[in-house]
Amino acid sequence: MKNKRIYQVAEFMARVLTNGSKNLVTRETGKVMREALEGRIQSEPQGTVVVLDFSNVGIIDFSCAEEVIAKMMARLIQREYGDKYILLTSLTPNQEENIHAALQTKRLLALSLKGAKKPKYLGVLNPYLMDTLQLILERKSITARELADLTQVEINTASTKLLNLHKARLVLRERMSLAEGGGRQYVYKSLLEI
Amino acid sequence: MKAPLSLHEGSFEYLLSQWGQRLSYPSDIVKINLRDTKFIDPFGMVGLIQFGRYLRLNGRNPFLLLPNSLDVLRYLDRMDFFKYVQNLFYLEPQDFTIEEKYLRRHHSDVLLEITSIENTDDVHIIVEKVRERAENILNIHLHYGPMEIDSFVVALSEICQNIPEHSKDMGFVGIQKYFYGKKLKKNVVKIAVMDLGIGIKESLSPKYASYASHWSDLTAIHLALFKGCSRYDDPGRGQGLTNVRKWVQKWNGKMVIRSGTAYTGLIPTWEFAPYKRSSLTFFPGTLVSLILPEKSL
Repeated sequence: MKNKRIYQVAEFMARVLTNGSKNLVTRETGKVMREALEGRIQSEPQGTVVVLDFSNVGIIDFSCAEEVIAKMMARLIQREYGDKYILLTSLTPNQEENIHAALQTKRLLALSLKGAKKPKYLGVLNPYLMDTLQLILERKSITARELADLTQVEINTASTKLLNLHKARLVLRERMSLAEGGGRQYVYKSLLEI
Repeated sequence: MKAPLSLHEGSFEYLLSQWGQRLSYPSDIVKINLRDTKFIDPFGMVGLIQFGRYLRLNGRNPFLLLPNSLDVLRYLDRMDFFKYVQNLFYLEPQDFTIEEKYLRRHHSDVLLEITSIENTDDVHIIVEKVRERAENILNIHLHYGPMEIDSFVVALSEICQNIPEHSKDMGFVGIQKYFYGKKLKKNVVKIAVMDLGIGIKESLSPKYASYASHWSDLTAIHLALFKGCSRYDDPGRGQGLTNVRKWVQKWNGKMVIRSGTAYTGLIPTWEFAPYKRSSLTFFPGTLVSLILPEKSL
């Protein structure tokens, strides 16, 4: 069972930053913040989608973005936090720009939510996976068979794409039983649907 | 040593070259004459402060002959210059006073008085202070919107944090708005940040010295500014300065870094200056100068 947790980053800052700053600047600050966020994420149940809400956070400089977001996304993919996912929300254009630059240097991608609008992609993703990610975000869920049929590719290719997106922690994966003839298959779901 | 009439990021080198010629003088007294100086920008001020520290660290007794111009004295006072130099230099005259009516004005073009940077908390204080004052100067005079103001503060943060992060020393920063009548017919904001630390070459040496055919200050600054090189292996490191350079380029600004015996940087078309120089008088640490012009409406 997947669940969602929203973390108010400003509240974390108020709790762990002794200087009372509202800005996420410097690598040292980033390290303190990352460790606080990691501690909480690790304690969440498996399958949790953590939404980092940046409301009321001042500026985020590149170094801090790299220390907090880029390192966390890299560790998330390495499964250091277990089966968890991270989304970002309520970022200002400047915050998005710096997080994007930080993720780009590590060849990582994160989704930034903007209300009901389409999520923004921060960082980079292998182009061959981008179309599939967009398709899942639009359709909300997809199986390898459906992807193979829709995009006219072999089912193995479709499966590999979906698995890679799941490994990048950009889509959820749930196993379901087939009604007819038994057997099981995976359904890949958009993170936004939790 | 006679300071130029106008002491700024371009002419500070003149002062250092005079020092280079006097290095072997036996006297421990070094006098810097500002008597005829009519203009000093933040780079000139933080440069003088760091020069005073450098002389002290080398066992010299530095004297500062203060400008005759009351306007210059008032401005130096407004920038908190005396707060730092009085412990470094013997000031001449010792008993100068600035009349009360000339002290701090409410409406000032000072975005940040000379401020010391010793640790991360200092960077937070600087960022907070500049964000508070940004509306008055960056928005009204430079027409920067919220996005540009945030980018400006991020650039400032990246440059300032290099001091506690890399220099192994403390540093100073100062920011002021000016009108560049002759060159640009626009307002500009000038940022100066300096430390007397290990410098870029020493910071990068363990990782890059053996790969370079001619390992020099110029090569090291070039790697840090244009190639995103850092002494750390993590690919995310070293990008702060590179990103600042990209923003400055986008805003058609000027960015110069001096470290050791060389400088290099971005020189926009509105400025007449060499983009790199080497074999200069050695001065420790890293000196950063940014000049960002008003946004065209």
